[in-house]
Amino acid sequence: MAAAPAPSPITEPFTISLIAGRYLLFDVDVIAHCRRAHNICGLLVGTIPNLSQQNVFLGIPLELMPEEARVLVDRDAAYVVDDAQAHQTSFAEMSREERLKYMEEMDRRGDEVSREQREMAERRKERALREKGLRRKVLERENSVAESFAESTATDETFQVDDSSVASSGLGFIMKGSSFVETPVTEEKTQVDYGSLSNSDLGFIMKGSSFSDSWVQIKAPKIDSPAAEASLFEPTPASPSPAPSVGSKRSKSVAVQKHFVTPTTSYPPLPTPAKDPSLPPPAVPNSYPLFRYLHSKGYFHMPGLRFGCHYNVYPGDPLRYHSHFAATGLAWDQEFDLLDVVGGGRLGTGTKKAYMIGGEDPEVDAKDKDPVRAFSIEWAAL
Amino acid sequence: MADEDEDISHLRAPDTADFDPTDEAQDFRFLDKLTAQDTAHPTLPKRGEKDFESHATSLQLDTLEASRRTMHGVLSWQRTHVQKGHILALYDPKTNMACVDKVKSQHFQTIGTNKGGREWLLPEEALFLIERGTLDCRWPVKREVGDEHVYRTEDGAPMSLQSAYAAFIGFEGGVGGKLTLEMYNVYAGLKRSGYVIFRTGTWDDDRGEPVLASPKAEMQTEPEPGVFPRFFSEVWRRLSQPTHTVSPANLAFGPIIKPGLYRSYNDIYRLLKLIPTHDRTAPPSFILPPSANNPFRVHFDVYRTTARFRKTARGPPDFRICVIDARESPIPTSAQLNDLMAQVPEDRPKESDQPYQRLKHGYRNVILAVVDNGIPSYIRVADSPFEDVKVYERAGPRGKGGGRGGGRGRGRGRGRGRGR
Repeated sequence: MAAAPAPSPITEPFTISLIAGRYLLFDVDVIAHCRRAHNICGLLVGTIPNLSQQNVFLGIPLELMPEEARVLVDRDAAYVVDDAQAHQTSFAEMSREERLKYMEEMDRRGDEVSREQREMAERRKERALREKGLRRKVLERENSVAESFAESTATDETFQVDDSSVASSGLGFIMKGSSFVETPVTEEKTQVDYGSLSNSDLGFIMKGSSFSDSWVQIKAPKIDSPAAEASLFEPTPASPSPAPSVGSKRSKSVAVQKHFVTPTTSYPPLPTPAKDPSLPPPAVPNSYPLFRYLHSKGYFHMPGLRFGCHYNVYPGDPLRYHSHFAATGLAWDQEFDLLDVVGGGRLGTGTKKAYMIGGEDPEVDAKDKDPVRAFSIEWAAL
Repeated sequence: MADEDEDISHLRAPDTADFDPTDEAQDFRFLDKLTAQDTAHPTLPKRGEKDFESHATSLQLDTLEASRRTMHGVLSWQRTHVQKGHILALYDPKTNMACVDKVKSQHFQTIGTNKGGREWLLPEEALFLIERGTLDCRWPVKREVGDEHVYRTEDGAPMSLQSAYAAFIGFEGGVGGKLTLEMYNVYAGLKRSGYVIFRTGTWDDDRGEPVLASPKAEMQTEPEPGVFPRFFSEVWRRLSQPTHTVSPANLAFGPIIKPGLYRSYNDIYRLLKLIPTHDRTAPPSFILPPSANNPFRVHFDVYRTTARFRKTARGPPDFRICVIDARESPIPTSAQLNDLMAQVPEDRPKESDQPYQRLKHGYRNVILAVVDNGIPSYIRVADSPFEDVKVYERAGPRGKGGGRGGGRGRGRGRGRGRGR
């Protein structure tokens, strides 16, 4: 993860998904954009796919507070899309042509992942071999073995040694999948395997990865079956439905497994739904004026449940800074318990924050001066 | 200020006292430590060092940028499925559930329901499996007129994560379902923590069934003593416990404790008990009419993970959870609490527990999961049996470490071994 990519730029206005009354963001670039350009963090509530056994780091989707959604909408940076409705029209009522196009896109992404996986495995293998001080030659021989071109059992012994030494570094999984160890491979079976392999593996070979050169070089002289040759060089396009290649995909080789992708967002690949002017702006609670005020001053906000307030207010990105205030927004003439001030003040002081209350004076014209006033409270601890 | 020291110690050391990594926004750079050692047992990274405020140095900006980049990198991880172990499911718009083609994962030991020979996933279950990258859910293919083709599951369009949220959460209201995003947040959070979690009941009605006290508790009658012991114990009881009680009308005129023979203070305390209390032996009953608007119902049964867990024979859950939206629900009224408590079975504390523990444990308990915009906070509400835990009857060593010194108390044997 050393080379974490920078987010790609996005164009405003972007969409906020409204699902069951909650405002969600699914696009990783939009999430990054909100953080950088609008001081909006929201809260990640999803599970990270490969780290699904922990609760410390969470992933997409990002849930926005209604206040945050409102600020974004009021700035014309975003608009709200009723996502349940949008999906009802785009997926539940999907026409055949749209579906086939969508499936094709998914297949393309799946192939991309397969290729990346393959390249990564290659890199891992190379690195491991380099660390072991083994030469490329050994690698090539192993390759030929791994692709179930086992010619003799004489090399097996030496090979086994190599295998165990690099098994931990990712080479092992290729070995595991190939069937040459358990069953003596007959000439015929090799042919069949090879045909199926090339069929589903064609994607990489045609795209000219470095691997394909060596692969073809080694194998070509050994093949005398024209059928295999044909299947190797016949450019089969990625089929929209995975049906025709099901049989071949059952082959035991793990390295050439087809990948399926669960995309994160629905649009793209589908076109973004248009703005629906009838959708009301996000409804916000009493505390919204204080939120808007602090946000306009450049502060970042997080939901305040952890500190018994409405918002945790940060001077900068919460990734880097501690929060300064535990803020509670009130209506102008709203009565509240003095004990709340004492409690909030003590809790805030104890957690190195100041407790803040604030509200909007409805009688002040926003053009004259800011109608919101805020007070910070610190427990004096006398 | 006698309590000042105590206060200060409480307030000044919040960092060491309650270290909770989920407490604040995490620095995603520390995820590296989690992902680098993916094979071995991953340990949670330490909480990142953060700054109090900006000092506009390049170092600070660079660190922030690194954090943001890492976060962005992690968030762009894609959910992929390999052919082997590819679990396909078909979305069913009528029930807002998903039907699994072929069950081939350990997850289905603690997830899903078998109906008619097929494995069905409730919305939260399907959504969680999709989100963690285990399940590939497909939209059903829409049939056009005259289309006789038999479609398989894999012919459907793959459901994106966004579609899954839109469908399983967004369509839920349309099919009369009750799953909200808050409930899903709680479900997923507990699943990630490793708990086994199921819906309580079916959620079809507006509220759960009242749970009557288990018959086992009522059957516990003590073995009848013989005639003679019974006779003597009766005599002793009459001698030691005055049987007369004072009616409230007489209270104004006479002493609560009439002059007489009192063998111990307990008898006097017993006489002093005038204020009527809630009768916990009566079967629980609802106060409010059933209403779909009452958010206080038990939503989830939560089990600790055990090796022998079977989803068909689950047994009583370890915890019961009611999910509350912090932004929309006020503190429950007494009637709401009563109705909530009526939906959970009795869970009595052990008789041997200390009085305070028994009070804390309560006769019935339920966990409220209060969710504020995605952050859950768990609060345990218990029905404390104050009238049953009598301070004057307490057994065990009195005033443990209270300065009296154990030796003297033990010598006199007071307050020890006194049976209830």
